[in-house]
Amino acid sequence: MFTHTPLRLTTLALLALGALGYALVAGFFGLEILAEIAILAILVIALDLVAGFGGMVSLCHGALLGVGAYAFTLAASDAGLTALPAMGLAIALSAALAFVIGAVCARSTGIYFIMATLAFGQMAYSFVFQSPLFGGDDGLSGAPRPDLSLAGIDLNDSRAFAVYAVLLVVLAYLVAAATLRSGLGRSLVGLHHNEKRLRALGLTVWRAKATAFAISGALAGLAGCLAAQHTQYISPGLLSWTVSGEALVVVILGGLGTLVGPILGAILFVVLKHEISAITPYWHAIVGLILIAVVMSRAQGVFGFLEARMAARKSQPLITEVKADA
Amino acid sequence: MLETRSLSKSFGPIQVTRNVSLKLEKGERRVILGPNGAGKTTLFNQLVGEITPDAGSIHLDGTDVTALRVADRARLGLSRSYQKNTLFDGLTIAENLGLAAAVALGKGQGLWSDPLQSAEVRETIRDVAAQVDLAPHLEARVDAVSYGIRRQLEVGIALATRPKVLLMDEPTSGVGPEMSKGFHRLLKALPRDLTILIIEHDMDLAFDVADTITVLNYGEVVFDGLPEAARGSQLLKDIYLGAWEDA
Repeated sequence: MFTHTPLRLTTLALLALGALGYALVAGFFGLEILAEIAILAILVIALDLVAGFGGMVSLCHGALLGVGAYAFTLAASDAGLTALPAMGLAIALSAALAFVIGAVCARSTGIYFIMATLAFGQMAYSFVFQSPLFGGDDGLSGAPRPDLSLAGIDLNDSRAFAVYAVLLVVLAYLVAAATLRSGLGRSLVGLHHNEKRLRALGLTVWRAKATAFAISGALAGLAGCLAAQHTQYISPGLLSWTVSGEALVVVILGGLGTLVGPILGAILFVVLKHEISAITPYWHAIVGLILIAVVMSRAQGVFGFLEARMAARKSQPLITEVKADA
Repeated sequence: MLETRSLSKSFGPIQVTRNVSLKLEKGERRVILGPNGAGKTTLFNQLVGEITPDAGSIHLDGTDVTALRVADRARLGLSRSYQKNTLFDGLTIAENLGLAAAVALGKGQGLWSDPLQSAEVRETIRDVAAQVDLAPHLEARVDAVSYGIRRQLEVGIALATRPKVLLMDEPTSGVGPEMSKGFHRLLKALPRDLTILIIEHDMDLAFDVADTITVLNYGEVVFDGLPEAARGSQLLKDIYLGAWEDA
């Protein structure tokens, strides 16, 4: 079951404070990277919710992010909604689509679930890629940033936008954590361990899976809105399965089923991408090697490794004491 | 409380349930006996909805549940334990019981509160843990406890739903004589208004707790009556009880 251990809370607080502190001092390039990390962090929190805790490994989260980005852009630029209602609409649409995907895929597990979500994701990608309404291969531009001038905040300023993005990560985390501590979240973890027994106890399994998937989809949609606001240009590439695959890599790298770990993974991934790509164009290979090392070490990602180290350190004094007595 | 009418099921050419009609009154404890392959577990699977019968009907508390799905039947008060442990391995014993209680109380899909912190669920965890003698192990992870404790939890999860009808598939399977006695005590201590159907190979336990006994052979009911009559039945000795009598 999901619990807020002291290490998780401390890590989360340090990450949030560190990101906000960095946002206050960073230059333009640093702020852009921070916003990029925030978008990925929200996406991987969404994915960890269903994959890490519910065992529903999805390859359509890129598509859910893309649907959020496109819905937001169309609602805000073509339909004339202001940014905040457009965000609400986009998030609701991503959640609704995710509910349908979750309901349809609920009967399958393992590799079949992955393939079914991949199929849904690729359907969405093809539809957006080929439809003139969505600008085809050219994509769409003109997504506005929310107008917070009443609060004296100008989100067109990179620094303000980075802070806003970090706060949205915190919001996404709180939503995911609250879900995991709810009846649905408890059932989600139970489904991961033993779906047959939960069904025999009276749980309507498809509905629980679909609802959890919808909440995850809503968070992916939020990441999509933020992505559209960040670059103010979107293309079908956002819906590609490679975005979903990359998110899955980040979740595993950070720590599947820890919720905090994937945020660490997002930081590592984006920083490595920028740092290593400045040295070699083969940065994917380096990240791949790191991922292989993480998987082969059987640690639960970077955060799982930290948790194991902390647990070992806790038991250290006792061992020393016994040795001293001996 | 629980009734089957002419229930039949085949897997290809093999008929595993043949025209089985049973009627359990409220509070009745019935033991199902039969050699391996007699169709006992298949009958249970049909009762809870995990297998669909080819013919016949199943009635729970007067309602025809034949067409209902597993979860719907569970919500009507039908609960089962499995012959092979079917637990939530990565969780603690308290979380296993709590999850079962939360789902049974309709809190399994709520979004606004933690059911494991609710008074009702905590009370159920406490009561059931006392019933199945798991109170000292509540915080232990299921994958770290002994097989015997896991068997107790298997029954505990079924009880945590506060069922009207409890189906127990070989609760003493694989446990030693001491723990088997513990299950005797557990069964005796369960509320008398709880209807229980048990598949059991432990004859001492079977005759100790049964109000009535049903014997299946090749999917067919070959005996249905009181334990005393079962003990004296030559047919049963021939098909099943001979080994027990000899022992």
